[in-house]
Amino acid sequence: MKNFKIILNGILKENPTFVLLLGMCPTLATTTSAINGLGMGVATMFVLICSNVFISLLKNLIPDGVRIPCYIIVIASFVTMLQMIMQAYVPDLYKTLGIFIPLIVVNCIILGRAEAFAAKNNVLASLCDGVGIGIGFTLALTLLGLVRELLGNGSLFGMEILPESMRMLVFVLAPGAFITLGLLIAIVNKIKN
Amino acid sequence: MVLVLSLISVVAAALLALVNQITSGPIEKINAETLANGIKQVIVGDEEIEFTVSEPIDKDGFLFYKVYNSDSELLGTAVKSTDGNAFGGNLVVLVGFNPDGTILGYEVLEHAETPGLGALAVTWFKQASSASDKKQSKFVDILFGAPGKAGNHNIVGMNPADGGFTVTKDGGKIDAITASTITSRAFLRAVENAYKALFTDGNVDNVSGATVQN
Repeated sequence: MKNFKIILNGILKENPTFVLLLGMCPTLATTTSAINGLGMGVATMFVLICSNVFISLLKNLIPDGVRIPCYIIVIASFVTMLQMIMQAYVPDLYKTLGIFIPLIVVNCIILGRAEAFAAKNNVLASLCDGVGIGIGFTLALTLLGLVRELLGNGSLFGMEILPESMRMLVFVLAPGAFITLGLLIAIVNKIKN
Repeated sequence: MVLVLSLISVVAAALLALVNQITSGPIEKINAETLANGIKQVIVGDEEIEFTVSEPIDKDGFLFYKVYNSDSELLGTAVKSTDGNAFGGNLVVLVGFNPDGTILGYEVLEHAETPGLGALAVTWFKQASSASDKKQSKFVDILFGAPGKAGNHNIVGMNPADGGFTVTKDGGKIDAITASTITSRAFLRAVENAYKALFTDGNVDNVSGATVQN
């Protein structure tokens, strides 16, 4: 029950994108289409869960003075593994996400959860936290991608829906990312209250 | 302190080596497949005909793959060309030229361009140009124009020897990808350099010389 609460907490109350406003760089940059957002979210979730579990396992072994370098090594190793696995088994998604996969290393959600949660809690709770925050991040990125793809490219998951005259390039570009994110945060806040 | 940090690094390195060993096979296989499909795609297209591909010929970093039909006639040459100054670093293209230099097709093999913008180069330069000539004012066009269709940007069938093989902003006759001029410039540079590498120093047959092994 407590662990279920931790998962829910990551999805709703502490949603990394809409509430904590963490990891804005990949959020704004990769959500040009729904499938990119989903792919980025799942990739980040994988790294987040693995690093949370391992850091929680190692927390008594790691001395306080070098904890950040240790976390970074753990995170960077998982990102490199993910990169090699994606290149080998989902080359198309790897091609689309390109530069943003290695950049997961510096995603502040992952280091943030390592420092704020995994270093203080047991393995199971850290696993649940990783799953919750990961799902929250994935949902947020997919939603953002959906809106931007629909308004900017007139399609949903690659299926064309809107005619060309109704598409607005601005939503695919950087300003559209900020506008969409701002509006979505407003809506989420309204619903939450 | 140092001991723990070193220990973690060693374990991490060992794990990475293991994963690398598992994935390097499939990655190589996928890269080889992409290249083989690319060579067929840029020379032969979707037609089902028999053809043979020569061993790669290396010239100043460009790789030439000569494609022959069943009568050993040269159908064209696929050139693998890299431009290091694209928006996200390296852009690797495979361009097919027929023997007189006309572009038959291209495939982007590797890139690190922005998804939804520069990454459109994968299809942009072979999309048939749309008929819409409606010129909007620039600002309105950038913000609210439809991304990716209008304009003249199909390079298939062009010959770089005819000149003007650059983006309209630089006085050429090819429309750049909307909001991705740097990527477009790098792409066209890669194609043009491939053409130059293939056709300078004598004609194609001199380049192929004795190195063709079938």
